[in-house]
Amino acid sequence: MAGCPKRFVHGVGMTKFSLDSIPMAVMAHEAIALALKDAKKSMDEIDAIVVSNSDTKMNDDRQRHFPSVLSSVLKRKMPIIRVPAVCGGGGAAFWSGLRLRYKTVLIVGVDKVASSTTPLVTREIMNASENAWEQDEGLIFPAANALVAQQHFTRFGTTHEDLELIAFKNHSNGALNPKAPFYKKPVSMEKIKNGPMIAEPFTLYDCSLTVNGAAAAVISTAPSEVEVIGSGLATDHIAPFEREDMCVWSSTVEAGKEAFAQAKVKQGDISVAEIHDAFSIVELIAYEDLGFCKKGEGKDFVRSGVINLGGRMPTNTSGGLKARGHPISPTGVAQIVEIVDQLRGRCGERQVKGAALGLAHNVGGAGGTSIVHIFRKVAG
Amino acid sequence: MVRVIRWVGESSGKKYIHPIERCIHDGGNIKKVIGTKTKVIGITKVHIPNPLHPIVPYNVLILEDEHGHRMPKKTIKDYCLGDVYEDIPNAGDNAIAAVRIKYDVGEAVDEALELIGGLAVSKKQKILLKPNLSIPGYPYLGICTNPQVIRAVISYLVRKGAEPKNITIAEQSFFMPLEKAVEKSGIAEIITEFGVNYADLAKGGFIVKKEREFTFEIAKAVYETGLLINLPVIKTDTVLGIDGAFENLTRFLSKKAFDELAKNPLKAGLALATFPHVFPPFITVGDASIGMQGNGPAMNGEPGFFNLIFAARNPVVHDTAIQEALCLKKLPYVELAGTLGYGTYEIENISFVGNELDAIRRDIKQPIGSKLIQE
Repeated sequence: MAGCPKRFVHGVGMTKFSLDSIPMAVMAHEAIALALKDAKKSMDEIDAIVVSNSDTKMNDDRQRHFPSVLSSVLKRKMPIIRVPAVCGGGGAAFWSGLRLRYKTVLIVGVDKVASSTTPLVTREIMNASENAWEQDEGLIFPAANALVAQQHFTRFGTTHEDLELIAFKNHSNGALNPKAPFYKKPVSMEKIKNGPMIAEPFTLYDCSLTVNGAAAAVISTAPSEVEVIGSGLATDHIAPFEREDMCVWSSTVEAGKEAFAQAKVKQGDISVAEIHDAFSIVELIAYEDLGFCKKGEGKDFVRSGVINLGGRMPTNTSGGLKARGHPISPTGVAQIVEIVDQLRGRCGERQVKGAALGLAHNVGGAGGTSIVHIFRKVAG
Repeated sequence: MVRVIRWVGESSGKKYIHPIERCIHDGGNIKKVIGTKTKVIGITKVHIPNPLHPIVPYNVLILEDEHGHRMPKKTIKDYCLGDVYEDIPNAGDNAIAAVRIKYDVGEAVDEALELIGGLAVSKKQKILLKPNLSIPGYPYLGICTNPQVIRAVISYLVRKGAEPKNITIAEQSFFMPLEKAVEKSGIAEIITEFGVNYADLAKGGFIVKKEREFTFEIAKAVYETGLLINLPVIKTDTVLGIDGAFENLTRFLSKKAFDELAKNPLKAGLALATFPHVFPPFITVGDASIGMQGNGPAMNGEPGFFNLIFAARNPVVHDTAIQEALCLKKLPYVELAGTLGYGTYEIENISFVGNELDAIRRDIKQPIGSKLIQE
């Protein structure tokens, strides 16, 4: 990162992502404790905290000034700032933390989203879209992304079967992740093909799973096993319909370019990736926008199998947002937890052999804000 | 005709979906570009309800206009890719226009009026606008008719040929000096801006009108105008259920007549039902830009943020449509007016233009404690 000292990840931790109703402060405390233990550090060694939570009103745990909640639960009076960016909150918090001029920074994402009825949660999440043009017209997030998928289908010949491959892959991976709600619960292709309709052409299995949880990471200027070598964030117009091309998420394009330029690596060098898959089409388009394949060839990239476990670049080995779950703000940090664990060889059954370079791609809104981080396993 | 609006920098060419006044890139002027010839380039059928959109399935279309600008559009009707999308105006007595505001109240009011066939206005015609200014309230609260709606209606009339000097904004308050509401609501600025007239109906004369068993004292001004436009703000009401087209007419009565009716809600309901026959024909533009839900302004109601403009030629149609759109309990006086033959109150016989009923229907916080509605 231009002008910034080198940053290393010293420890990561996350709660199990679940439907359990646990106070946000308690979930955050658990994730932080795990990250500190992993980093072999105490709270005394943390200089600042960046937290992301989404301040939803659908649960009984709405606490807008979460930095002070963290101060209470950690019993520390120190710089704590909040960086909300809806589903991209965790990635944005990590991006912000890297740019703080402290030696050791703790990044936390926490949210309690699965705590009300589907209509209320749907309404609440819709608040991340444009007000008069989108919310008033019933453009819930599955619908907004379904319309993007339809454009992609029409222009490039992508099919729903391609998206089913993504859902199947992520569910297969999630069944191997003890932190995922789908752990040891694989979902068959037949079930995916026959999922109930949500917003045509999307079925349930095109949509990520709403869960509760927290994730944390400790970063420092001191060397460790994993170095952050690329960090990009970009923001685009809020509504896909307003963009020149609904099939290009330029926030991902720009964030990816920045991260790859900093990292001085090429797409083909990446050995493991966590790609934002709030909806199946988002993962497919991200392959194109991040430069793993050309625009319109995402379907071929998916069909080739390179993204499956055992492929050249296994993607969403955690299960992704689809099967590890999507608690909104913690998602971006949880992606980094997975990449760091992959690079350290700690992922058990889903471990990618020889993982040396990992990429995490997190999105807030329907392509509104994208954050890309690239990590390197430090030799030695 | 749906309107796709973009605010475009005249020199920069930057296109905005928000109504900015100057382009931030070069400080240049902004022109409003409106597309009306739209075709369907995207469709998704949504199967998951939420409180804003409780009726499923519904479709969200992506429409693209003749300028290449796009917008989402919710509709219950099924379309195919490539179809032309258009709203056909309906000037019938059973029609109501329901238009969602896209940050531009003026465009929404204009569109609503055009969707009910438009208004023909002559230069010398006297026009009376009747907003709701019964209780003083800042514009953001939805207590009074939104000054932006009044500005839009006056602008529309002037564009159609009306002279500002022949337009009068008239109201009275039974609870406090009207001037307070005129100032607080922002209407005073509109009066100055356009040079239109302002009248406190309480200070004008009244004439006696008999209808069935009722004797009304009604402001003379009502019968001295060539065009009457009723401009209620759509807000919940603990007595009448909703302040719509009917309620807004009550302040054409003398205070004495109003107080007499207020003593007996049931009798008031019966009297209200005769209003369409008591008053000369009028247009209603229902201001649901903000509006209120819950117990209305008198008892801790709250802004509704409905973001809609309604327009109808018949008050029975107007209030029935709003009752249905906001999932309110049946308004007995509106139904009675319908059975008396003053307008269509069977919802299936009301024709929605701009948006279908099921596309805008949503549950709001209901008013409670109305003896009239319960009875």
